[in-house]
Amino acid sequence: MRQRGLVLSIYALGTYAFLHLPLLILAAFSFNQSRFMVWEGFSLRWYQAALHDAQLLEASWNSLIIALVATLFSTVIGTLGAYGLWKRTSRWLAGSLYLSLVTPEIVTGISLLAFYEWIFRYLRVQLGMHTVILAHISFSIAFVVIVVMARLGTMDGHLEEAALDLGANEWQAFRYVTLPLILSAVIAAALLAFTVSFDDYVITSLVAGVDSETLPMVIYAIARRGVNPVLNAISALIVFGFGSLILISERLRAR
Amino acid sequence: MNRRVFLMSAVGLSGCGFDRRPRLNVFNWSSYIAPDTVPKFESEFGVRVRYGIYESNEEMLARVMSGNSGWDIVFPTDYIVKPMLVNGLLAPIDHTLLGNLGQIEERFQRPDWDAKLEWSVPYMVTAAGICYNRKLDPAPRAWSDLWDERLKRRITMLDDPFDTMGACLKKLGHSINSSDAGELQAAEAEGLKQKPLLRAYLNAEVRDQLVSGDVLAAHMWNTTAQQAMDASSGIGFVYPEEGYAVYPDCAVILRESKRAELAHRFIDFLLRPDIAAANALAARTTTTNAGARRLLPADFRDNPTLYPGADVVARGEWAKTVEPATQRLRDRLWTELKSA
Amino acid sequence: MRRLRWWFLAPSRTVMLLLFLAPLAIILAYSFESRGAYGGISLPWNIESYLRFGDPLYLAILWRSVWIAAVSTLGCLLLGFPLALYISRAGTRKNLFLSLVILPFWTSFLIRTYAWMFLLRDTGLVNTLLEKFGLIHNPLPLLYNDGAVVLGLVYSYLPFMVLPIYAALERLDVSLLEAAADLGARPWAALRHVTIPLCAPGIWAGAILVFIPCLGAYLTPDLLGGGKSVMVGNLIQNQFTTSRDWPFGSAISLALMAIVMLMLWASAKRSGENLL
Repeated sequence: MRQRGLVLSIYALGTYAFLHLPLLILAAFSFNQSRFMVWEGFSLRWYQAALHDAQLLEASWNSLIIALVATLFSTVIGTLGAYGLWKRTSRWLAGSLYLSLVTPEIVTGISLLAFYEWIFRYLRVQLGMHTVILAHISFSIAFVVIVVMARLGTMDGHLEEAALDLGANEWQAFRYVTLPLILSAVIAAALLAFTVSFDDYVITSLVAGVDSETLPMVIYAIARRGVNPVLNAISALIVFGFGSLILISERLRAR
Repeated sequence: MNRRVFLMSAVGLSGCGFDRRPRLNVFNWSSYIAPDTVPKFESEFGVRVRYGIYESNEEMLARVMSGNSGWDIVFPTDYIVKPMLVNGLLAPIDHTLLGNLGQIEERFQRPDWDAKLEWSVPYMVTAAGICYNRKLDPAPRAWSDLWDERLKRRITMLDDPFDTMGACLKKLGHSINSSDAGELQAAEAEGLKQKPLLRAYLNAEVRDQLVSGDVLAAHMWNTTAQQAMDASSGIGFVYPEEGYAVYPDCAVILRESKRAELAHRFIDFLLRPDIAAANALAARTTTTNAGARRLLPADFRDNPTLYPGADVVARGEWAKTVEPATQRLRDRLWTELKSA
Repeated sequence: MRRLRWWFLAPSRTVMLLLFLAPLAIILAYSFESRGAYGGISLPWNIESYLRFGDPLYLAILWRSVWIAAVSTLGCLLLGFPLALYISRAGTRKNLFLSLVILPFWTSFLIRTYAWMFLLRDTGLVNTLLEKFGLIHNPLPLLYNDGAVVLGLVYSYLPFMVLPIYAALERLDVSLLEAAADLGARPWAALRHVTIPLCAPGIWAGAILVFIPCLGAYLTPDLLGGGKSVMVGNLIQNQFTTSRDWPFGSAISLALMAIVMLMLWASAKRSGENLL
């Protein structure tokens, strides 16, 4: 058993290295004075450029708001949906969730655009943050449902039955028995939904309005023009920023 | 400086409630304007401008196709104007509101795509040619030099169907706008011959690989090439002997815009010789504004990449809208080439 | 009581109906129409777009995409399963390790792809190091080929594999493993016969969440493959952008979705699994 633990740990360490090394290297070169691979000295100029760019700041803020709101809604709706599907199958809902996973992003984007276009004939609305948030909720739900269902799939249905036998009603059975058991899966699903939303480019670029530019859109525009260490600086900031948030929340939890 | 930016962003974020000035939304190519043009316009006319950027016509078109994107002015390339017009996306241009329209160069006053300038106003011009690392000796002079066996894996072509097929067509002596099936298929055959020699199909991002020497010759637009040459003296640019594609970009007003008059004022502002000259100089591009050209500093005005001599200009061919019948053939040939 | 279940499902149903099925119906309509003269949609209804997809050129592209997606999914599985296993045994540090998996993915997808371009280029870090240590004389062509595309896809979709597997492993009853050990099973055997079958729903979910986006991927093959090969995602993207042939793009997408749904249904039937 101990030997296996070691093999597993090494494997895991290797995978973590694979995940993080490229970004650490990018971050290392974000301090490079020169914009090329050759190290020319330590400099913070790229960070200054990134933090002074009003467009970048506004886009980051937009991305954050959109991701938080969309994650909140899609996690709640998705968890309830997963639970509902676990208790009782709804073929068309299950089918459409599958379908939404299978749909290429560009098709989701174009179809939503066409849908909004049709709606805009009757309501005097334009593309904006709200259209982006709705789009994100729409594609995140399937992810949440899948992750929570994977957890529910390994769960024992008898626990709820026992609760019901002991006099709880359905809502109480869900709230006090099932929910705590699947909470870690719900959190994992929320993390996934946040990631998918924060990172989305294709769908967002199609349904974003004039004022709802997001971080991936700005990054894409910069990256299209070639190597730019400002991108390195941005990614370092994101990793460092979110990383600290995670460490802090871990500390708080451990207390 | 840092605090001011944060403050500005905070004000911007807290909504337009603070700012009652009229607003104009302009969507343009990246690096296509001088940094102080928009602030100058804002202060002179007491308005606020939201300035967005894009990297390709397709990106812009996808956003405005819905007819409800929120943009007022966009800058399509000439061959996109007709499709936009046919799809009902454009608002007519009122010449009475454009006092500076006469500043435009003679050859752009009655262009093929919009003979009376009813829908578009020419802005800047780009062209495609060969950008090379000066280590390459002898320097390339024609499209056929990009088919050189000795340059295997050190060549790239643009990842754009019109541009790359155009280069193949020119190599065979045909027009870039050809709709003849035989010519197009011959061009595809040329492309297939070249593919094993290519490193990749890349657009502007190949610039850095040129500078570092990974790539020795690249199919490239002149504006991007100029940026590469600004960054490094080891880069050169040439307009191939067989001829090359020219892409005039123009300003159009979207039909969905509710601020047509303000939009006209902005376009008129851009047509002012001093403003147009500043834009061309800052963006390192070729302007269509004759008045502006006269104001450019001599060394920029004679830049062979952006303002080549008459003999080179004569070799250039303007890109035209692809007719529907040909579009499908071109699409298929491009897909075949790319998936080979 | 029954009504409560209805309420659980109602929000999902509304969202799916309005924000997914209705828009998809529009795309379905588009796929039966014709391309407008200069792009967009115009009227004669026909099934021409679907027939066009039957052309060997496009089927070859589809096959290639399936192949690359399958290899990438396998790669994610080989890397992701042990990682999920490790995290599920990490005790109090679980959330931390989980977040460490996700963290790189909050930088943009594009930045992560560029990180690999940065590393794999001829003058990139990998080649520079190899040359410095005298292992090679000329830079290796690491970038702009199918291998780079698979690497990029595996890198991009790894958390999609890890999270569902982790979620399923989370409540694996450790006593079952102890029982297996008591009965004389060696660790590998316990893994094969106890752990893996029990977290099968998670593996299945992970495989779906990776395979499908890989199939429809277009940015990664474009950037890391140098645009030299066409995957079905690029094909669809082209139809909606450069060619402005919305009916054909819609038809390809729907055909692709139908094929994948069929595959999912067939294998679910065979293994008796019912994911949703």
